[in-house]
Amino acid sequence: MSFIPKHRAAVLGLLALSLAGCGGAAAATHVGGTKPPPPATAGAHMPTRQTPAAVKPSHPAMAPAPAGNPIPQGNGGDHDVDNNGGPSDGDGSL
Amino acid sequence: MTAPTRRRRVLIAAAALAAAGGGAAVLAASVRPGPSPVVAVQGFPRFLAQAAPASWPALGLPGRSAVLYYPPALHPVPGDADAVSVASRGPAGTYLLYLNATPRQGAESLRHWAAFRPQLLREDDASSVHLDAAAAGLAFRGGTGSCVIDDYVSRIGAHHYREIACLVQGQTAASVVVGAAPASRWAQARPVLERAVAAYRVR
Repeated sequence: MSFIPKHRAAVLGLLALSLAGCGGAAAATHVGGTKPPPPATAGAHMPTRQTPAAVKPSHPAMAPAPAGNPIPQGNGGDHDVDNNGGPSDGDGSL
Repeated sequence: MTAPTRRRRVLIAAAALAAAGGGAAVLAASVRPGPSPVVAVQGFPRFLAQAAPASWPALGLPGRSAVLYYPPALHPVPGDADAVSVASRGPAGTYLLYLNATPRQGAESLRHWAAFRPQLLREDDASSVHLDAAAAGLAFRGGTGSCVIDDYVSRIGAHHYREIACLVQGQTAASVVVGAAPASRWAQARPVLERAVAAYRVR
């Protein structure tokens, strides 16, 4: 009589242990699931990458106007009137 | 409220939000590049594309992608090989009226023109630039255009000019048409410059 309950208790104990193991494994998987943070960290960079991508439509338009003056003034470059103090023409500064 | 109705309303609300978000993005994109917020600029004159007076000569861009019509008082002046420029000049050689047409060369776009043009002036020819007015979606002869009216001070000679500058997209090509005059003479120059821009024809 006393053996059966003990056996059941042992079985139950093993079951509990294996379940706990599964749970642990599940937890480990979850921790592994927390690992995505590295990708998620990479994902954290994504918004930074996406921002310029999202902004791109406006920036390409600004790109051709480089910092500094690409066409020398004082009758330089393409000798346009706008390099000599005249009104600016419609070139794209290329 | 039945479930389908509620769902429909949610979808409509989501679509409205998405549309509002898209609009905000467009607005931000327009405003971001320049110190002069495009949305705050008002007062672009009423624009009506129309044929030039019969007496006006014309100069075509290479490939006849666009034609610049100009008053007979103006005369061709040197410029870029692929562009056409005409002007009238004062006794001291100062530019009184100036018109130019140039094929699109860079990353100019109709959407960003109001930011692009002042930025280009700032980086290229001008020590200071002020955007006075802007408009988009203007119907040109043969195409659609975005225009700005701005004034700037040239780096050489510190001349203060005002201009109307438009990027015009035709069926096959885009080009820029510029009409400029000394800011002090803008009141007299404006009607004829606007008339020339209104007569600009693209293909």
